[in-house]
Amino acid sequence: MTLTLTLHTQPPARVRTAGLTPERLRGLHAAAVAAMNLRCGGDTVAVGDLFEVSGAGTEEERLVLAGDLRRFDEIGARMSSGEIEVRGDVGAWAGAEMSGGVLRVFGDAGSRLGAAHPGARAGMTGGEIVVHGDAGEEAGAGMRRGLVVVGGRTQPGAGLRMLAGTIIALGGLGPEAGLGNKRGTLASGTAVEPLPSYAFATRFSPPALRLQLLRARELGLTVDDALLSGSWARWSGDRTELGRGEILIFDDDEEGQ
Amino acid sequence: MTAFMLGDTGVADTFAEAFPMRYARLVITAATEAWALEAARSMTGFATSVIGCKCEAAIERPLAAGQTPDGRPGIAVLLFAMDREGVGKRVLERVGQSVMTCPTTACFDGEPHAEKTVPLGASLRYFGDGFQASKVITGRRFWRIPVMEGEFLVSESVGVGHGVGGGNLVIGAGEHPVALAAARAAADAMRGEGIALPFPGGIVRSGSKVGALTSKSMPASTNHRMAPTLRAQIDDTLVPDGVGAMFEIVIDGVSEHAVREAMRRGLHAAAAAGAAHVTAANFGGKLGEFHFPLSELRDPP
Repeated sequence: MTLTLTLHTQPPARVRTAGLTPERLRGLHAAAVAAMNLRCGGDTVAVGDLFEVSGAGTEEERLVLAGDLRRFDEIGARMSSGEIEVRGDVGAWAGAEMSGGVLRVFGDAGSRLGAAHPGARAGMTGGEIVVHGDAGEEAGAGMRRGLVVVGGRTQPGAGLRMLAGTIIALGGLGPEAGLGNKRGTLASGTAVEPLPSYAFATRFSPPALRLQLLRARELGLTVDDALLSGSWARWSGDRTELGRGEILIFDDDEEGQ
Repeated sequence: MTAFMLGDTGVADTFAEAFPMRYARLVITAATEAWALEAARSMTGFATSVIGCKCEAAIERPLAAGQTPDGRPGIAVLLFAMDREGVGKRVLERVGQSVMTCPTTACFDGEPHAEKTVPLGASLRYFGDGFQASKVITGRRFWRIPVMEGEFLVSESVGVGHGVGGGNLVIGAGEHPVALAAARAAADAMRGEGIALPFPGGIVRSGSKVGALTSKSMPASTNHRMAPTLRAQIDDTLVPDGVGAMFEIVIDGVSEHAVREAMRRGLHAAAAAGAAHVTAANFGGKLGEFHFPLSELRDPP
């Protein structure tokens, strides 16, 4: 049985949700989860004061959060296994520094999705994040490994200083994507002007991206067939850094670049 | 000598003797099935017998677009060798020379749940001369090797399973065309999931025996006891009266069960296609771990 937390009361301040990960809730029954404390502003609040808890933490390690969770930061942060499904929007730092497992958001995500905390060497180091809506600023900042797929658009600064890994925005990357990118992959399903520190290489059909798009489809995102078989423009950068990263821009127009 | 009749076909009272082998399964995909087939044919070329080719390989089956990791048409290939090290060397050579070189292909591990693996992309990546890049997708690492066409995508490693090599049927008939047609029908019936028939068209006309009468250094020589032209010349011929040509089908499979069932399909298909005599090759039972008595294949598949 899946552990389900349904929001019934909006918190008075922003809540840090980092502890609510499947591996930490494994084997806990509903009452124990409801009694857990979360940081809320300068105070603490019990899970049960905000959520209706049903089910129990199971071996399948699946956690469902439902409701408007825009005030909840760090959902799925540092998770290493299992699956979190969010039925609603989430706040900032969702999936920050996660190392494994799957975070699925059926809504929008706030800023710094899958990113590195201030001072941290790297952001996400593994696992998968799928956001059906849009993602806020600096999604995947400092990312080292793993896959972030956003069904909608990303706000400015996606992939900031990313080391490696993949960020795909089917609805398109926002401006200034990939600043300081070392060897990561950014992919935009719509046209975008890359930073001047990126240089156009070619148009081709990237085989690895195809696997990742199929995986996104498997995780429930709608991925157009044209994206799978069409060609993408490859821009190499960021040349102010290592320069081994890339921005892939869907470009199936025959005239193209 | 004949154990039972299957219609007009006499089935010998003998068994096929087979050996434990290690195998890898590769899934080769390409933009079209035709290109995947080009790569698969090239990769499985000159891989008929471990005696002379160091491995035995064949196309296992075509895969529809929906059955492959990247959603493109593909071909599953099985490669057998005597040990894991051998599988690793041969897979690396053959994927490097025959798959990476072939337009539009990608190469994936078709045995992802195997306990043991051998490196593939992990070694081939050096062809990328430092420009290679990797992606970890659902916990598995793939290498992107830049090539003149674009990129070659290859699994970091491939699983190695425990298989069975050397299962066989020997099919004969009075007239050569009938024998060949029966062997062909048997080979067609035997191919399928988990089965590799490494010889040309699945059929070998020059079945061999271990060693030689005339040399101590030859590892193998013609199976003279099954050569129809020598019937009247030797005392211990295995060619029955009225049989004018014999063909062997060698079967490598991913399990004892897979080999036995393929032999069953082949035996009944050969009988239906007019074979006069079906037997099997063995080494007296002392060399091979697996024995497949033909008498156990009496029930149709």
